Amino acid sequence: MTAATATPWRANGPSLHAMLQIAGWVGLGLIAVAVSLSDFLASAPANATAIGPLLAAPSADFRFGTDVLGRDMLSETLHGLSRTVRGALPATVVTLFAGALFGFVAARLPRGLALGLRGLIGIAASLPALFLALLAIGLTSRDWVSVAAGLSAAPFAFVRAFDRARQQERTTHSEYARATGISGATLMRRDLVYEFSDTLLSSAARALAAVTIILSTLSFLGFGAVPPHRDLGLMIAAAKSYFLHAWWTAAFPALALTLLILFARLAAGLDEGERA
Amino acid sequence: MLRFAMREAGKLGLGLVGAVLLAAAIAALADRHAGDGALPFLAAWGRALTGFLHLDFGSGAMTGADALGELGTHLPLTLGLVFEGLAVALIVGVPVGVMFGSGPARRAAAPLVQVVSAVPIFSAGLALAYVAATVLHWPVPRGTGVATGLALVPHSGREVEALLLPVLTVGLAGAAAAQLALRRAGAEGARQPWRMHLRRMGLTAFEIETIYGVPQIMAGLLWSLGEVMLALFSAAAVAEWVFNYAGAADLFVKSVALHDWAIVAPILLSFAGLTMIAAFIGRCAAYPLAATGTER
Repeated sequence: MTAATATPWRANGPSLHAMLQIAGWVGLGLIAVAVSLSDFLASAPANATAIGPLLAAPSADFRFGTDVLGRDMLSETLHGLSRTVRGALPATVVTLFAGALFGFVAARLPRGLALGLRGLIGIAASLPALFLALLAIGLTSRDWVSVAAGLSAAPFAFVRAFDRARQQERTTHSEYARATGISGATLMRRDLVYEFSDTLLSSAARALAAVTIILSTLSFLGFGAVPPHRDLGLMIAAAKSYFLHAWWTAAFPALALTLLILFARLAAGLDEGERA
Repeated sequence: MLRFAMREAGKLGLGLVGAVLLAAAIAALADRHAGDGALPFLAAWGRALTGFLHLDFGSGAMTGADALGELGTHLPLTLGLVFEGLAVALIVGVPVGVMFGSGPARRAAAPLVQVVSAVPIFSAGLALAYVAATVLHWPVPRGTGVATGLALVPHSGREVEALLLPVLTVGLAGAAAAQLALRRAGAEGARQPWRMHLRRMGLTAFEIETIYGVPQIMAGLLWSLGEVMLALFSAAAVAEWVFNYAGAADLFVKSVALHDWAIVAPILLSFAGLTMIAAFIGRCAAYPLAATGTER
């Protein structure tokens, strides 16, 4: 159980933590709406060039300005956000299964096997997630970028879930359950249900924040989205050559990306000191 | 303490062995026959492992240069960047973290810390470059040209300016990671029952914070040294890419793109090894500082 779910409300109303968590979910909801309606909300289709003058600054006609090919930055940012979210969702699912769920189950395996797995995954966790993702893409292809991002975020989620499950195993209710003859498998099913009903949403939001950072960084480095399908990371990378005299080409995609990660972090109810 | 250090040393040893096995498996991919099936791969893995034991990491597929030589050329640049970034992280992150890591300031700063934690490092790097170029009129490398290999120790004002941006980018990432570790330790410390007991014994809040609180917070930072190193290495990869800095992290990215596994393997091994060693040193240093010595 996270700190957020442990003390979300005070007697006289919601705490700051709970309010930030609600704000995070509202923000993610708004982003979901924007992503679903991106084709409708955007005034130009994705990657439509020569919509306006080249590198026009933000104005009444082009609120986010235009880029070096005359693309409307507002429309491109919406399409890029949509692309980023669509890539991040499967990656989130991969992290939840390969990290959180696998870690929880692995902790209940026979002691030797469990500790062996913990050690193996611990080696992966001692490498930056970005490097793991790069390696996974290098070994496969860019088509697998979502899976690579999900798998690279998984070791940290695995270790966290594993350690939490080991703590649960040492609690009094587990000892009593074992003493009364309840099997390990039954106890694990019971703990799994409670664990995931309590923390599924916050774990998913936490994983979303982590994989979004990895995915966008991969695209920024040229390992993610393939042109003409541009996500926010690729848009920012494309702006690298001319953002010094056309700041809006990088600033608006970066702002959209930061908001997505921020809302996911808030929705996860991450304590200020917690990593995504 | 000795028992704790021995246990941690055991973990470090096992971790390093695992990292060597992983790196050898990656290096084995450079073998022509490794893709022919499980047995040829295992044979290639064995050969790579034997080579590793003799410090023979093979040679790069693109340049034909010795992998160890390439590592020797590029790794010092990244290490310099990482350690200079670590210095920035400590100079910026620790005072800010201690200041906002405890008491009412911790809650007040929480939303700001959330926003800062949400900014991807490449966005922060570009923002720094923009400020440096437009406000300070510093030279900022742009485009995706060949890495310039900036000098590790700058010899002129121009080189200092060019080196400052990647160092600051890495340092900010490190400061953010240090900040998170300090806040986590501060939050844990705030929940400890010994605070109330010390108050009842007549100690003032200031005494409790300085004598007991700050060492606990510093122990928290040291305990998370491995995590800080991970953040620094990730940031180094991005900073080297953004600022055309020819370090090992940049070489890693390019080598993965070119499937040059003989170069990828030793870089990965050195990064994993350094992170594990930093985590080991941090934990051993944190142990006596933490009053209870309990594991996090």
